[in-house]
Amino acid sequence: MRYSLVKTAIISVLFIAFIFALNLTPLAKWTKNFIYSTSCPIQGFFWETGDTFSDFFKSIFSAKDIKQELDRVKIENQKLVSENLSLKSLKNENESLRQAVGNDIQKEFQILLSHIIGIDVSGDFILINKGSRDGVLENMPIINAQKVLCGRINNVYANFSKVILLSNKKSVFDAKISENATFGLVKGKGNFKLFFDLMPQEKEIKKGDIIVTTSSGGIFPEGLLVGEIEKIQKKDVELFQKADIKPFFNIQEANELFIITNY
Amino acid sequence: MTKNIFIFIILFYFLILFQTSFLVHFNINGWTPNLILIILILTLFLEKPTNKNAIYVAIICGFFWDIFSETFIGFHILIGLFLVILIKIILKKYIRPIIFSKKNNLWTST
Repeated sequence: MRYSLVKTAIISVLFIAFIFALNLTPLAKWTKNFIYSTSCPIQGFFWETGDTFSDFFKSIFSAKDIKQELDRVKIENQKLVSENLSLKSLKNENESLRQAVGNDIQKEFQILLSHIIGIDVSGDFILINKGSRDGVLENMPIINAQKVLCGRINNVYANFSKVILLSNKKSVFDAKISENATFGLVKGKGNFKLFFDLMPQEKEIKKGDIIVTTSSGGIFPEGLLVGEIEKIQKKDVELFQKADIKPFFNIQEANELFIITNY
Repeated sequence: MTKNIFIFIILFYFLILFQTSFLVHFNINGWTPNLILIILILTLFLEKPTNKNAIYVAIICGFFWDIFSETFIGFHILIGLFLVILIKIILKKYIRPIIFSKKNNLWTST
């Protein structure tokens, strides 16, 4: 009995010492990088297959909604046609401005293309296939082709990087409503959900307002798309109002992401 | 035993890849079923109280879980081990003897 206890205690101490040694040295990063490297082809296969299967099932389950969607799109199309006419007059002016400012993200930022390999088990982290060997550094912003902000680099390995998504509970950054420049903080709620906090009570906000990043926090560049206001929570007894955000990023549909390397 | 451990390592390696790259596409309202946890719980509750498979499964699951999450290596191993040992003690002392007692032995009655 006594011998067994001593044996268990020795094994436990050795095990804990091993864990400490592993985490206090670069060995942990090497281990993770090695396993990611060997798993990359299999994960890529699983990711592609999962994407195909989920698209197939989504199309089956959403078949009944297609008719309603078609009617809605028809009405929206008519509105857009009329808007298009008025926008044509601004086209020439816009084109000259585009030439001056440059609208492509490649012109605006130095970017690095990367692919998603997997989503973290605990959620709201993703693994991408670019690491320190490609020049990736911690806190670099991640966007998609439509300039929608997805997150920032949290941990860099030799060939891979972990990205903390905007929806992670640890994620907090400055943003504003593009229409009326109402400033606030975007916070992650977990499970790919976000909310907009610390907006002054007197500011009028409405459902569908677009939220973009500001450079005041120094975390992200100005003007990256975040999401739109979905549900406003306004209470007279509170100093600030809050709102749930419907994020523009959809990790399941975004296979290609861009790392902004010059911010 | 070594053979079992080897099988567990291979099984859970592929399972974690399946979990992180395939199952994430099928979330329901942001929630994805956690196969690793389900299999750990099944192993824990379905094996005999004297078996130690659940302990090995907890270590292997914890290790792969740590690799594919943003915690330090060892975090989920320690949590898994602690929970498995705790539940094993509870099952052995308070619940399992009733099921495995000779009078009500459901497992060996046939």
